[in-house]
Amino acid sequence: MVDMSQTVALLAPEIVLFVASMLVAVLGLSRSTGVRSLVPWVCVVALIGSILALDAVWTPERIQGARLLFPMLGKYGKTIVALIGIGLVAVSAGSIDRRYEEAVARGRASFDALRVVRGEYYAFLLLSLTGAMLVMSAPDLIWLFLGLELVSLPTYIMVAVARTGRRSMEAAMKYFFLGALATGITLYGFAMLYGATGTMQLIPMRDVLVAQAAVGGLSTTAIVGTILTVLGLCFKLAAVPMHFYAPDVYEGAPLPVTAFLSFTPKIAGFSALITVLGIVGWSGHAMVDHDGVRIAYEGLPQPITAVLWMVAALTMFLGNIGGILQTSLKRTLAYSSIANSGYMLVGVIIGPKGGIGAMYLFMLGYGVMTVATFGVLAALERKGEEVDSFESLAGLRASHPWLAFLLTVSALSLIGVPPLFGALAKIVLVFVAFEGGQATLAGVLLLNTAIGAVYYLRFVGAAVVNPINAKSQEVVTVSHRWPKVAAVVAGLGLIVLPAFLSRLVDASATTVNGYIDYGETVASESKR
Amino acid sequence: MIAAPAMLSSVLALAEGPLDAHAAPELRWAGLALLLPLASSVLCLLCGWLKVRSKLPAALTIAALGGAFATILRLQGTVGETPVVVNLFDWIDLTWGDGSRFHGFTANVDLYIDRLTVFWMLFVTGLGTLIALYASEYMESDVGKGYTRFFGAVSIFLFAMGCLVMGGNLVMLYLGWEGVGLASYLLIGYYFTKPEAVAAAKKAFIVNRIGDLGLALALFLIWQCYGTVEYAALWKAIEAAPASSEWTAQAIPWLLMLGAFGKSAQLPLYVWLPDAMEGPTPVSALIHAATMVTAGVYLIARMFPLFVVNPDALAAVAWVGGLTALLAATIGMAQYDMKRIWAYSTISQLGYMFLGLGVGTTFGASYHVFTHAFFKALLFLTAGAVMHGFAGQLDIRKLSGLLKVPGFRLVSVLAVLGCFWLAAFPFTAAFFSKDEILVSAFTAKDDRVHLLGWIGLLVAALTAYYTFRVCFRVFFGPVKFEPGHELHGHDDHDHAHDAHAHHGEFHPHGPRWAIRVPLVLIAIGAILAGWPSYRTMLHHDESNWVKTQVAQSSAFQGVAAESHGSLDGHAASSHASAHTEDAHADHGHLVLGMDAHTAVGRLGSLACIVGILVSLYVHLINRGTADALRRTLMGTVATRWIVVGAERKWMVDEFYDWVIRLPLRVIANILSAIDELLLDAGIVNGIGALPAAVGRVFRPLYGGVVQGYAVTMAGGVALVAAWVIWIWLRGAN
Repeated sequence: MVDMSQTVALLAPEIVLFVASMLVAVLGLSRSTGVRSLVPWVCVVALIGSILALDAVWTPERIQGARLLFPMLGKYGKTIVALIGIGLVAVSAGSIDRRYEEAVARGRASFDALRVVRGEYYAFLLLSLTGAMLVMSAPDLIWLFLGLELVSLPTYIMVAVARTGRRSMEAAMKYFFLGALATGITLYGFAMLYGATGTMQLIPMRDVLVAQAAVGGLSTTAIVGTILTVLGLCFKLAAVPMHFYAPDVYEGAPLPVTAFLSFTPKIAGFSALITVLGIVGWSGHAMVDHDGVRIAYEGLPQPITAVLWMVAALTMFLGNIGGILQTSLKRTLAYSSIANSGYMLVGVIIGPKGGIGAMYLFMLGYGVMTVATFGVLAALERKGEEVDSFESLAGLRASHPWLAFLLTVSALSLIGVPPLFGALAKIVLVFVAFEGGQATLAGVLLLNTAIGAVYYLRFVGAAVVNPINAKSQEVVTVSHRWPKVAAVVAGLGLIVLPAFLSRLVDASATTVNGYIDYGETVASESKR
Repeated sequence: MIAAPAMLSSVLALAEGPLDAHAAPELRWAGLALLLPLASSVLCLLCGWLKVRSKLPAALTIAALGGAFATILRLQGTVGETPVVVNLFDWIDLTWGDGSRFHGFTANVDLYIDRLTVFWMLFVTGLGTLIALYASEYMESDVGKGYTRFFGAVSIFLFAMGCLVMGGNLVMLYLGWEGVGLASYLLIGYYFTKPEAVAAAKKAFIVNRIGDLGLALALFLIWQCYGTVEYAALWKAIEAAPASSEWTAQAIPWLLMLGAFGKSAQLPLYVWLPDAMEGPTPVSALIHAATMVTAGVYLIARMFPLFVVNPDALAAVAWVGGLTALLAATIGMAQYDMKRIWAYSTISQLGYMFLGLGVGTTFGASYHVFTHAFFKALLFLTAGAVMHGFAGQLDIRKLSGLLKVPGFRLVSVLAVLGCFWLAAFPFTAAFFSKDEILVSAFTAKDDRVHLLGWIGLLVAALTAYYTFRVCFRVFFGPVKFEPGHELHGHDDHDHAHDAHAHHGEFHPHGPRWAIRVPLVLIAIGAILAGWPSYRTMLHHDESNWVKTQVAQSSAFQGVAAESHGSLDGHAASSHASAHTEDAHADHGHLVLGMDAHTAVGRLGSLACIVGILVSLYVHLINRGTADALRRTLMGTVATRWIVVGAERKWMVDEFYDWVIRLPLRVIANILSAIDELLLDAGIVNGIGALPAAVGRVFRPLYGGVVQGYAVTMAGGVALVAAWVIWIWLRGAN
């Protein structure tokens, strides 16, 4: 029997974040400026608290009791969510409510509880992170679905709430409408998986599919259900064919929300993706050939591999080629986020033998690079507005050398210039792809790295090479320190983390510890 | 994943030899030798940031380097006959597939400490400390300007050099190699407002890139052939399969050689070193004479097991070394700038070291590195003191009789002493180390290198001549000098100079204690460097400290076990007997009817004394003769090329300009034109326009209208589903 209290105890990190989200929702409405400015601090403390709670409650017995498909996924995944979450809070701190708070501080506006959004914004941010954590310890499809919804619903509102512009409203509407559509597709896939197996629990589901595979192959319903789920989840990853929303929404959303969108739904989506794929397994399903002979096939079932392969390749190409054509910083970064999803999908295709570990390693790198890049952009403003064109970045080297340096570091890391962390994570990914027999995909990845360099180098070119111009002369740093601190810490992280490469590789490889791919036993039996 | 040391200790157990390393976690404090310079470079950075306007950076650097030296001294007492591997922390330790050989890559931050490591680090950190002390006074006019930058770069240099020498794998060696290259670049270009300094820095960096390419390729090939880049495991792999005939394995020593020749300024990559003298003089002494340029010698000595199996590569090393020694000596004879003469002498002496390596005596080469480090540092530092005192004057035609100038007596005496050492005057340290190399050249088993023994003797005579040319011109003779125009190669420092300029006369100012103390200590070091040989002479004690150090390292195959009686390092014996059949006793070899040792000793002394005597006559007793000789040679067309060639450095720079730089420039222009006209205009813009065009076609679908996106997404899902069902059905049939 599953001991309920043990399951609840495992949720301590999520509970910490949930309580904190309620707290900041109230604190954000306080009449006192001092109390209101405490809100980001509370978020950071809560995130650190959730990491500590995770450490405290994560015992082998409890995990055993929770009956998870990927029992160790949460340990690494939730830590990353919380760590990058701290960075995302810091990126937000400078922008949210800034103009209104400044007006209040100068006495030009009186405090109006209906006009501050701070409380809601941070509450939703924490709730969305809670959702991402929940996804990582889902024992059944319903939990998984609710977790995914908890990731998405707050983000729909965050896009709209933080800025009262028409564009952010429009972006929020688009995001919500298309998100609902994608969720529908996911849910349809879930339903078919239920139909194929007769259970919602992930481990029994996996056992049923193993039994199916043993007696003549997976049912078509199961395959189609998995594929529909994968395609629905592509929305979270901003992967083809569900990527269309990304550029519009990222551009319309306020800068910190863009940063948030390019990380949190992505890590939740990838965790959900491997959880669902874990049901069918990577290690060789017996396939029946024309003569009725059972042959072992390495990797995910063939149609699923084919779909993921195509999605990964198209996502990389469309992301990078799209990125070249942009002039808006946020749109460029949206396409960059699409392309990076494509890279990470390569790891998912390879599976537990190194691939998923490499994917989570890359995810960590991507998170740090996101914080660094957006931290720099959030630290700048022009006439009280966000900086959103390459023109505005021109001559940054002269006006703000440190920020230019950090932007250069994160852009070079995004390209994959050794010895920065992004490069090493990418090398590991390529390596794993070669070892896993996906040499073509590895080649596509390398080719796309070259294409991507074109637009990443634009950041460097604008900040370091181009002379200052009339537009960029008006660019100043925001008074808040938080984004700068986030950018400095993350940027230095990109330089320092390579020193701990082996440890991080080992740590990210623990995500698949305890995952048992029954397909493997079936395949080896069928070979005999 | 298994940590490297654990793996090693399991393999060990059997015979303990100079290649059998064991893990020694208790020696982690040895990492201080790297950490202290790193810390001081960070602190110097902070000083620069906080705009410190005192000598604090110098104090920090001296303290850190002194600490590193103390660490190494303690290590010398601790490390035994077998090498140890100290794991500082795990950096890269990856396995894939089944984790077997070639399915893993390990490059942790390890230290590989054997006697060779300690030997090298001893003089690197020791001289580093003394030269930093010297520089604290030498650079004082820059306090508050470049002072922190200077000491920061010196600290980075010592850190990188430590990585290079102490690193436990080739990746660390490579990082250190690049690090010293960076430090060298920063310090050569220290006076970055001077165009020549900037050009010299770039030249050094670019020429070194060529060598570094070789090193990088060698590193890749070593991994490909042996499956590891860690020394301890690499020696095992080489032992298991010593002579692979695969071209990749054959190429490794040649590529390593390219790297070594770049860093150690040998043919054909030596051209950067003379220009590197644009840097401040302490830098020339530390980096471009005593330590960094010996990294190539270290590389080949360290990787000697790879060279032993490839006699062709060794012969090539010997010939390149010998010819570089000769070429640089001839150029050195015809230069007028004191620092440049010393620079060419450095190249020439490095040539001797490579000659030693090539004829198979890692001991001779290392011994010469050791003795050379002291006397060359001494010569550069005295040159610096002269330059410091005479407002940048280095032209040997404009300085004379410094021995009699007040305040410069000590400096002059020490410089003269250094000259005796450089000329390898009988019974100086360099005499013994050079002797060792030349004897090995005469007695080498490989016939192709015997001629190099005679070339070496010729170079010995030339060296004595040009060394004492400087000595007699500058330090002896009547007192006569002109001050230089610049002050250490830059602007507004000298109070005394400015004050006296009003009176139209110049008073040189002598150095103070921070310059004198290191000079004296280094001079004592230069004398003591010959101590192992003096002991042999006086006590008939055949043990030689340097030889023991080298014999108990990966370079043991270059120490002939029988040549000087028994080694006191018995560690080598078990392995040496197995590997050094070719390191035969040299007593049997006859040169001019004498045994090689006696012959080389006598001929070497003769060459040195003849060189000095010629110099004495031409440059002191009758200074007119030199000019007369030059005029005579210039007067005849048949001999004119000798003078012009030597003075213009045999036109090597011009040759490189024409053969390499010009074609490259032409190709670059052609490629640039193709790029602009064809690629950019046609293909790139075309491809760039393509997605935009495609986008335009589809724009009606989703021109920002949400329904459009929705339809496209749903359509995409439907397409994928249709496609899957199609292949599914086809597969099922």
